[in-house]
Amino acid sequence: MRTPFKAASLLGLALAANPASAFSIFACEPEWAGLAQQLAPQASVFSATHAYQDPHYIEARPSLISKLRGADLAICSGAELEAGWLPALQQRAANPKVQTGRPGLLFAAEQVETIDQTETGFFDTAHVHPEGNPHLHLDPERLALVAQSLSQRLIDLDPENAQTYQRAQSAWEESWQQNIERWRTQAAPLKGERVLAQHTTFDYLWRSLGIEVIADLEPKPGVPPTTAHLASLIDKVEEEAPLAIVHAWYQAPQSAEWLGEKTATPVLSLPSTLTPEQQIERPEQLFDHLISALLELQGER
Amino acid sequence: MRIRVLKPALLTLAVASVSAQAADQYPNVSLTVDAYHKSDNTALGGRHEGWGLSHTELSVSQRFGNLFDGTITAVGEANEEETEFNFEEVYLQTLALPAGMTLRAGRFLSDIGYLNGQHPHADSFTERPLIYRSFLGGHYYDDGIGLNVVMPTELYWRVGAEAFTGDELGEFDHDRTIGAWTVSSKVGGDIGASQSWQAGVSYLRNRMLDQGGAHEEHAHDEHEHEHEHEHEDDAHHGHSHGAEYAGKHLYLADIVWKWSPQGNNRGQQLTLSGEYIRATDPNESAASSDYHEGWYGSAVYRFSPQWSAGIRHGRVDLQMGHDDHFHEASMTESTLMLAWNPTHTQTVRLQYAHQDVRKDWQDTLSDSADNALTLQYIISFGAHDAHAF
Repeated sequence: MRTPFKAASLLGLALAANPASAFSIFACEPEWAGLAQQLAPQASVFSATHAYQDPHYIEARPSLISKLRGADLAICSGAELEAGWLPALQQRAANPKVQTGRPGLLFAAEQVETIDQTETGFFDTAHVHPEGNPHLHLDPERLALVAQSLSQRLIDLDPENAQTYQRAQSAWEESWQQNIERWRTQAAPLKGERVLAQHTTFDYLWRSLGIEVIADLEPKPGVPPTTAHLASLIDKVEEEAPLAIVHAWYQAPQSAEWLGEKTATPVLSLPSTLTPEQQIERPEQLFDHLISALLELQGER
Repeated sequence: MRIRVLKPALLTLAVASVSAQAADQYPNVSLTVDAYHKSDNTALGGRHEGWGLSHTELSVSQRFGNLFDGTITAVGEANEEETEFNFEEVYLQTLALPAGMTLRAGRFLSDIGYLNGQHPHADSFTERPLIYRSFLGGHYYDDGIGLNVVMPTELYWRVGAEAFTGDELGEFDHDRTIGAWTVSSKVGGDIGASQSWQAGVSYLRNRMLDQGGAHEEHAHDEHEHEHEHEHEDDAHHGHSHGAEYAGKHLYLADIVWKWSPQGNNRGQQLTLSGEYIRATDPNESAASSDYHEGWYGSAVYRFSPQWSAGIRHGRVDLQMGHDDHFHEASMTESTLMLAWNPTHTQTVRLQYAHQDVRKDWQDTLSDSADNALTLQYIISFGAHDAHAF
């Protein structure tokens, strides 16, 4: 036994002596990767997930373990969005910097107030978030608050580059506030519109745009749509004539399409996060895309 | 009913309760109930015929500052013949060691093979493959310490070593400080956006079988017939914790490959996995050509968020010790399963198993099942542990 142990600890010491290269950021979701790249232009940024994956259901894959192993900072949505996979990654990656409670792990949901916080007990088996809705990046105001926290965290962890981070943050903040003003004007016609949504993914966006969600395709949050539940929505949809039935790119479109066909309501598939492959690389491009897709649909009616 | 908490486990508990005062985090408590009905007994272990509870576990884990995670898992099993209660995990695990190192101490699941380190309630089938039931007592946990190192490589690469008392490997006359030790390594990564894989090799050195030796041999010399009888009994018990067919050297190789469309495993996922085990030097009189071996291959396809189906086939080739020579016995097992997850905390699974005895000796495998149908219901409450790949 002694020999492998010795070998392992010697190896450990040798590796610990390795100098670190570029500041490495592990983002649980693409929106945080995109934001981090804006605020830390020189950092190497990795996103664990992409827009076609349901962020609730990610596996603690070997590739993600090795990425988290080398991270200086991890930024995740929190509010239990990653409860099914991040703890397994943290445990396997054995990187003390990004353990929960350490400054190297930033949960966005802990930087702002989340909506729809619910009380849950030990015997609750439905998929709910007692810490509120975690998809908070879809509110431009909350995103700006997370950006402030993230920038401060970067300065704390990498003080040598504090100036770079401060400059990046003030430039970003300025242009972001201009964007918020622009979106307010652009999206004004959307106020008072009604939609049907699949899951609570876009709830922050609906709130910030003043759009009302008349029903959810999911019978309970996290439970896939059932035929019985969809059928029960037909009357309501016909009565209230919503702008669209909306689902995220990562969700199977069948339920929305079925209900759309039954009620002659348009189905709108939207990205819930950044997709660099489709030229949505920065947070403002995501909001531009979402708002113009909704306006376009409104124009067609 | 048997309750066993060994010394290292108690020590761990004592350490844990001291540091608990410093921690302000609440413990995570989870309860997983695994209820089933099985139509027939299967050879080489598995669930007992009739109604029962299998691997029903209460787990408490607690973070101690930023330094340790502590976990205690109590497992209860009940069937029409017996009720058993055991602590399967009582350990502390470090969170703050440098260089990708993790140290565990106490009682824990060994990191050998693919399935061994995972909790059985996360399995895709109601029972572990033949090789796990024959060579590892279903799943091997023991009292000891373990070190894992994740290398700073682009490709995931983990190496690990563990030292155990060996007491959980079976009933032995002698006591050793280090009755067993293991080394293991895993590599893994992604292929494009849709595929991921992991492959591993591990080795378990069973020192409990070394000279001075095993209870089994002792029994063999003096009470051969009783021994055979014992063996049959063992085979009936779904959870005989010791390995039924042991070897001084156990070699394992495992591979897993998963596919899901664009890596979105919510809706669809195909998982292929396979493992091979060879156990050499079954006893003192074994020649180099005498070894047990076995393998399994499984394919599980989740075709919608709530439904999955799977097929598994495996085989073991065993050496039945008889005085100074061995008799061969071998068996295959084919399994089909269909599972429904009405919510992410519940699973209803229907499983069919068919066993085929290829070669037998003294009716050791005579209780093999032609058709065994199992209906299983799993429900979990409280905090849900994140599952490994």
